[in-house]
Amino acid sequence: MQVVKIILYPDKKIIEADTGSDLLDVIQKAGVDMNSDCAGEGVCGKCKVLVKSGQVQTPPTALLSREEVRQGYVLACKTKILTDLEVEIPPHARLDEIIPLTATERETQLVGFYSKAEEVATPDIIAESRIFEHSPLATKLFLKLPPPTLKDNVSDLQRIFREIRRKSSVSIMQTGLANLKKLGKLLRDANWEATVLLGKRNETTEIVLIEAGDTSGENYGIAVDVGTTTVVAELVDLDSEKVLGAQTTYNKQANFGADVITRIIYASEAAGLEKLHNVVAENINELISSLVRAHQIKLGKLTSVMCAGNMTMTHLLLGIDPTYLRREPYVPTANFVPVIRAIEADIKINPRGLLLCLPGVSSYVGGDITAGVVASGICEQKDISLFIDVGTNGEIVLGNRDWLVSCASSAGPAFEGSGVKCGMRAVKGAIQKMRYESKTQDFKYETVTKDATLPRGICGSGLIDVLASLLRAGIIDKAGKFKVINDNRLRDTDIGKEFVLIAQDKTDTGRDIVITEADIENLIRSKAAIYAAAAVLVRNMGLDFKKIKNIYIAGGFGNYLDIENAVFIGLLPDLPRDKFKFIGNSSLAGARLALLHYEALKKINDVARMMTYFELSADNSFMDEYTKALFLPHTDLEKFPTIMQKMLNN
Amino acid sequence: MELVKEKWVSKVNILSIGATGEEGGTRKTKVQVGGEDTLPFLHFEGKMPHRPVIACEVLDMVPENWPQAVAKPYSDVYRDPAKWAKKCETQGADLICLTFTGAHPDNNNSSAADCAKVVRNILAATTVPLIVIGCGNDDKDNEIIPAISEAAKGENVLLGKATQDNYKTIVACASADGHAVIAESPIDINIAKQVNVLISDLSFALDRIVIDPTTGGLGYGLEYCYSIMERARIGALGADKMLAMPFIVFPGQEAWRSKEARITKEEMPQWGDEEKRGIVWELTTALSLLLAGADILVMRHAQAIANLKKVINALMNEEGKKC
Repeated sequence: MQVVKIILYPDKKIIEADTGSDLLDVIQKAGVDMNSDCAGEGVCGKCKVLVKSGQVQTPPTALLSREEVRQGYVLACKTKILTDLEVEIPPHARLDEIIPLTATERETQLVGFYSKAEEVATPDIIAESRIFEHSPLATKLFLKLPPPTLKDNVSDLQRIFREIRRKSSVSIMQTGLANLKKLGKLLRDANWEATVLLGKRNETTEIVLIEAGDTSGENYGIAVDVGTTTVVAELVDLDSEKVLGAQTTYNKQANFGADVITRIIYASEAAGLEKLHNVVAENINELISSLVRAHQIKLGKLTSVMCAGNMTMTHLLLGIDPTYLRREPYVPTANFVPVIRAIEADIKINPRGLLLCLPGVSSYVGGDITAGVVASGICEQKDISLFIDVGTNGEIVLGNRDWLVSCASSAGPAFEGSGVKCGMRAVKGAIQKMRYESKTQDFKYETVTKDATLPRGICGSGLIDVLASLLRAGIIDKAGKFKVINDNRLRDTDIGKEFVLIAQDKTDTGRDIVITEADIENLIRSKAAIYAAAAVLVRNMGLDFKKIKNIYIAGGFGNYLDIENAVFIGLLPDLPRDKFKFIGNSSLAGARLALLHYEALKKINDVARMMTYFELSADNSFMDEYTKALFLPHTDLEKFPTIMQKMLNN
Repeated sequence: MELVKEKWVSKVNILSIGATGEEGGTRKTKVQVGGEDTLPFLHFEGKMPHRPVIACEVLDMVPENWPQAVAKPYSDVYRDPAKWAKKCETQGADLICLTFTGAHPDNNNSSAADCAKVVRNILAATTVPLIVIGCGNDDKDNEIIPAISEAAKGENVLLGKATQDNYKTIVACASADGHAVIAESPIDINIAKQVNVLISDLSFALDRIVIDPTTGGLGYGLEYCYSIMERARIGALGADKMLAMPFIVFPGQEAWRSKEARITKEEMPQWGDEEKRGIVWELTTALSLLLAGADILVMRHAQAIANLKKVINALMNEEGKKC
């Protein structure tokens, strides 16, 4: 073994490595975030890099075309370093940098980080977020204390407790030794004027922090949606309730596997849990520091963090072993996790600041869903609503203010861009909207940034549009198979047919953006799982889709979702379109509510306690419903009357 | 006491196979199936206007995989499909079912022209309607079906098998040459429906389709197949147009594939004579499928055929209708 030099382009990073080490490991250690959905198993083909000079050892793979092999492309995860190397990391192999939202995007987004104002600014949701009284997880209170005298000689701490009780109805209070050690001098130096930070820690109130003078106007919090794929953080002024900014980044855990199961398995490997915890904490810290920099706020003024994530994400963020989540009987280690100091989870805000992870229902229905339920307001309404989170886990909630029942169906990550050849997440360069023009027979698109950015791939909402367009244009049949058509964009490859949507000269990657027959099959499976789960849940409650008042669609679908197309492919039931409300990232919205309003937090806890979990695998009708839904839009076309009418008119 | 009767809202499509001279074909007889507005043989509840029919299976090659018990009776004719078909007709088959096993690339890989010739010879040698089924290899079928279909143009044959993955060529041929189509699905009522939707999307008439639900033989999941057929038929009677087709089933193939029909007396003395055993196995499989609602039964052994005919006659004659 000897030490060799590796130069990474385009960053021109120079690193040293031992011969025989894995190229992917070395690149990741150099701080470059690589795409690797399969965690280095060599099956996803996302970690493609170009070896420009030097020698490597790499096995043959079907994931590289002959042309790519000739040029020197290798899969980094399967490649061993033999000599000094020069390696080019192409853009599609990297995870993106943090993307700040523009001010307009932020302002127009009431509930969802991703969603458009028109689609989310529904009266229900506004009403929901307003009925909660302003009562943040951590509140600042300015106190003017009467100085002690021989007559009024209670201790400094008693004096503070007394003053707090005079101002508010707090009963049980506690504080830490660290505050007491500084207290005597602090109060006297500040002329008996101080600000206390009151944190709600479970059933008691803690004096988290005592600061000299009046700092009550400077109290900030962070709401975080810890998603399997994406982490989103929002900076909130806890005093004025204003959202100051929001930023997003990829969950770096994606380096260790695309889905929660792979990550749970990875966590059980040596140092696996630690790595998974560290990268997500690092993600959140990066977002926080970027937000405070942008808004010129001192880190010390951040006093609380509210996190919403699925059960696996919550466990990993807290550094709790998630192993038992996937073993029968699928019990989480902790669901109602107490309020902790943020630093205990390695989240860097004020060193005494608080952090809470929202509770879920079961191993497969987490705090992101309970948060979403409260944000959507379905738990406050008399009428029955359906809440659908179109994500990898495809969680569905049905109910109203009296009852709630949830289920999760493994929809797979197709709508998040994984398992689809040209699929990608909703970031720069992703096509979020697509339309077939029958006159020119061309596909018109719009990317996430809505500008002239050349496309790199297609995100979930774009894929829905593609599927609907291909079906409408008669390019695929109702089973999702390509028809025999005279169109040179349809071609045969070693692994089946594919259709060129955008030619290589019009893309950012220089390669054609295509959709393959296998992609279509994956998408149909995903949409079928979600529709079937909703259908089984609704039927098991003795209901009918028609009896449902509102349907809330949540998910990280770019900032757009074409409901008509989603119905057209049978992802959503065929109901009057005004029943559908696309609410974007409801998990983040729920976390923000919980951060600002103690009542909302209690509501989320109530929802987590009252919601029942319906196990789809225990229901023998699920497979039947699923097979029925493996068709466009559905095997029983009469369940989609408006679509049937449209097809007849065609 | 009055019988409780189920009142159905719809019925199974009626399908006619074979074309006589007047209709532009050369068949002496034609066959009509379907039309039931009740579950099988419940004559007190509804009508079964057409009796279930039996097709006798003929291959375009020597039946190498058939056990001796069922191959031997055809050994005088099985080198010539036309003679084989003629023999079946004399044995009382309502239809001939010609399966192009020999065209499969793993067997003789016969050319499209050869296949067409076999069809023409059989049509010339027989007078009953014809069912023609490809070799089961999608690419090869897409090559031979057009020629087969063309060779039988105007004879209104039943052409098979369209599947979810390969239905376009066969449906286009049937459409052009005036044939009916078998739509196959893997013991799944939803896929059965999906194939029918796909076929009808090619503007092919729904009443020109027969469902092959795929079944097992006796002892090989037959009860599951039974319930799938029953569910589909209940769907048809409940006005689900995409399921209102007659059924074709293949008890001959299924039964003679089973261990119970294949093992010889020498290998398993306590099981007795294999020919008798095989016949009973085929008959019992066929009978179960008949009761599940089969309209066309494709069979092999003459004795099984004769016995099933007796059962059908008994269930369909005036005596039977009274029970």
